[in-house]
Amino acid sequence: MMDVMISMIFGGILLFIVVSANDIAVENQAVYNGDMLVQEMLTATVQLLEGELRNMGFGVPETVPTILTADTSTIVFLTVLNRTATVPDTVRYFIGDTTDLSGTQNERDRLLYRRVNSEKVLSVGTVTVFHLDYITKSGEDLATPVDPGRLAEIHVVDVTIEVQNPHAPYRDANTVKAGQRNALYSSSMWQQTRLASQNSQR
Amino acid sequence: MLTIFAMMMVTTILMNYYRLMAATGDDIASAQDGILATTIATSYMELANGLAFDSYTDTGHVGSSQKSLLTLATNLGRESSYEDSVHKFDDYDDFNGFSIEREAGGTGRRFRTLFTVFYVQPNNVSAYSGNREFVKRMDLKIWRTFPRPEANSRLDTLKVSQVRGYYHFD
Repeated sequence: MMDVMISMIFGGILLFIVVSANDIAVENQAVYNGDMLVQEMLTATVQLLEGELRNMGFGVPETVPTILTADTSTIVFLTVLNRTATVPDTVRYFIGDTTDLSGTQNERDRLLYRRVNSEKVLSVGTVTVFHLDYITKSGEDLATPVDPGRLAEIHVVDVTIEVQNPHAPYRDANTVKAGQRNALYSSSMWQQTRLASQNSQR
Repeated sequence: MLTIFAMMMVTTILMNYYRLMAATGDDIASAQDGILATTIATSYMELANGLAFDSYTDTGHVGSSQKSLLTLATNLGRESSYEDSVHKFDDYDDFNGFSIEREAGGTGRRFRTLFTVFYVQPNNVSAYSGNREFVKRMDLKIWRTFPRPEANSRLDTLKVSQVRGYYHFD
């Protein structure tokens, strides 16, 4: 009888441990999946963006200004996308509103849009931060929106992108403190300096 | 007896399982570090690409028979104490021996970068050259300084190299 009692106690402890471990495993798995997802989303978005920023001003006549608009979350510039073309294309990157993605659980995510000339606006990724900084050759941070008279001074464009997953496992309501978010969102950051001057400083 | 044996088995399985979970977490954190280190590396390489090939070519051109005008291999580096930051550099080899630490985009993680610039043989860019050449190579080493990585971190130091050649159209 004593053996049975002890076995039941140990069995209960084992069962409790297994159930707890399973809970933790499910939560961790969801978080890890989220981490991996945002890293993939980030690199996919950045690949396109950095390629185009690198070619900013390519094929544009020297007498024509390259950057047409430079704001915190919008940039418009000229570049020749099709090598056989002679007329430069106008490329615009800008961020949408959070209401565009009101269907997702994450209240901070937005679409990053790209528009070429007057073609249809296309979304190139989902981001939570898309921030642009403009720096002159002497290292001066230009105030945004950059004054049209100073656009030609832009030597460096600093791009900061953050991606969070659109859906994440909710936290236990009892553990959420003031200022904390109610779900375990994963985040991945990208901050890169892009030289604007190779083709564009004019 | 059987209960104790079962307990030991479950404990072993759980330990292995948690170890696996921890390893997965480390891999993902390491990938994020890799992304951040890559952004830093490409940012510096981009800045370096915007500079003159050599302090001489900053203001003039060097013909194919005038290699002797280039900086001596032993003198590659900053020309004056004025060039104390990346924004004050005016040629590619100013990065030689330079070391800088910065935070990666509001993540709270700090990374240090160490640069080495040297001449390489034009027909074999992986081979160091002690002579003046029209090809230079920049090696970057980037590692996280804060929070300090664990001793068993998957990614300790990111090493990146870039080769830069000099040419101009006459």
